[in-house]
Amino acid sequence: MYTSPGTQPGVPRPPVNPQPNPFGNAFYGAGSEFIRSGLGAYGERILGSSSEYVQSNISRYFSDPQYYFQVNDQYVRNKLKVILFPFLYRGHWTRITEPVGGRLSYKPPIYDINAPDLYIPFMAFGTYVVLAGFLMGLLGKFSPEALSLLFTWGLGGWFAQVLVLKLMLYTLGSGEAPLLDIVAYGGYAFAGICVTILGRIIWSYSYYFLMAWTSLSMGAFLVKTMKRVLFAEVRSHVSSMHNYCLLILAVAQIPLSVYLGWI
Amino acid sequence: MAKEFNVPPVVFPSGGNPGSGPQQRRVPTAPFQPPRPANPNLPFMSFDIGSAPPPTSFSAPVFGATGVGIGSSFEDEPPLLEELGINTRQIWRKTISILNPFRANANLHEDADLSGPFIFLIAFGLFQLLAGKIHFGVILGWVTFASFFLYVVFNMLAGRNGNLDLYRCLSLLGYCMLPVVIFSAFSLFIPQGGVVAYSMAAVFVLWSTRVCTCLLVELASCGDEHRGLIAYACFLIYTLFSLLVIF
Repeated sequence: MYTSPGTQPGVPRPPVNPQPNPFGNAFYGAGSEFIRSGLGAYGERILGSSSEYVQSNISRYFSDPQYYFQVNDQYVRNKLKVILFPFLYRGHWTRITEPVGGRLSYKPPIYDINAPDLYIPFMAFGTYVVLAGFLMGLLGKFSPEALSLLFTWGLGGWFAQVLVLKLMLYTLGSGEAPLLDIVAYGGYAFAGICVTILGRIIWSYSYYFLMAWTSLSMGAFLVKTMKRVLFAEVRSHVSSMHNYCLLILAVAQIPLSVYLGWI
Repeated sequence: MAKEFNVPPVVFPSGGNPGSGPQQRRVPTAPFQPPRPANPNLPFMSFDIGSAPPPTSFSAPVFGATGVGIGSSFEDEPPLLEELGINTRQIWRKTISILNPFRANANLHEDADLSGPFIFLIAFGLFQLLAGKIHFGVILGWVTFASFFLYVVFNMLAGRNGNLDLYRCLSLLGYCMLPVVIFSAFSLFIPQGGVVAYSMAAVFVLWSTRVCTCLLVELASCGDEHRGLIAYACFLIYTLFSLLVIF
């Protein structure tokens, strides 16, 4: 997957993944959660009243995906502001917990700006594919195969981001944060990259400035978020190790953004 | 020039031998003559619908079954389109209703069908072909993927009371593709890559998005608070297809 980024204008690339098809979703979101959540929604129709069966099986491996889609317009707007301008956000970064059935669980995204959701990452990923396709068309390099290639690379980038986050959690602590949380945090990076590509479409020299700025913002956002996640997950607080890892995480956003924005 | 092929000679029940000369040979005027008495020398075998079909049917399928009086069960069969479930009148009505971007008639789209979308997608492929791009497989794959994407997003957003199923999602997506198909027809006449192309694309994509969102929100109980979120998902899908047209 790490072949040289396609910068040969006019040469059709051999299709690695000729058409995006539903089975490509197996890699969507770094796991088969998509198929399983689809199976959960669809299983109700196939299996009749056994949706509880399907849902309980899904929730054994992933937390309930429904939680991540309880969003509304206002949440999406505010969350985008937090992602793109984390320096200007004056509130606190902790997630609000509420006791549910004897256990502490987090409030859904409608009520809590700091809760992760999956709507923004998916829409940001789709916007990234569409905008990158538009940019390729402006540069004269558009073809459906190239777009499919872009889609696959974008998925790879998302997967790499999730992997980095997960590795960091494993090395520093128990790493028991729910997988969908990590997938959501990884997908937020696409929002910044979309802004970069949009800037490049409008004026090509704004690319460098925007790239630097969105990498920094994404780094800051992830640092602040993962700090809270680590506090929640890890018992012993080893201060300097944590800070170095968080710093590495922030710096790692730059090559990731460059890789994804390289059209 | 007539081709030579072996026509086995016709033998009459009166026992004329096969080689008795051309003047006794009689080509049967009706293409199919049921029911012939059982004569083992005859190459044609009589059959009707109820009995087993003949093992050799070198010419029977061409002439068969249009004869009158073969079996009364054939006349009772419904017409072909009705049997296939293609209701052309309904398809036409649905198509006309899409053409009005400001008011979507959701009752027409209650029953989903895929024949209208199939016609639109084939037309889309044909217009792309006229523009020199062979995109049939791409369109098929992208429509499948897009409908799956929309299905998942819609059902997740709608929560417990989302009742969009994949068939209806595909049907709605296909019907609302009509403005993009019209755009691909228009784009044959405008210069590629100009400002006109982009602005037309914007207009048609917004038209598609608006119709699709209205239909989705009305048909599958979603609730109005997710309208903007669903609209954005539809917008992404139709922009993707318009990219195929522009570039």
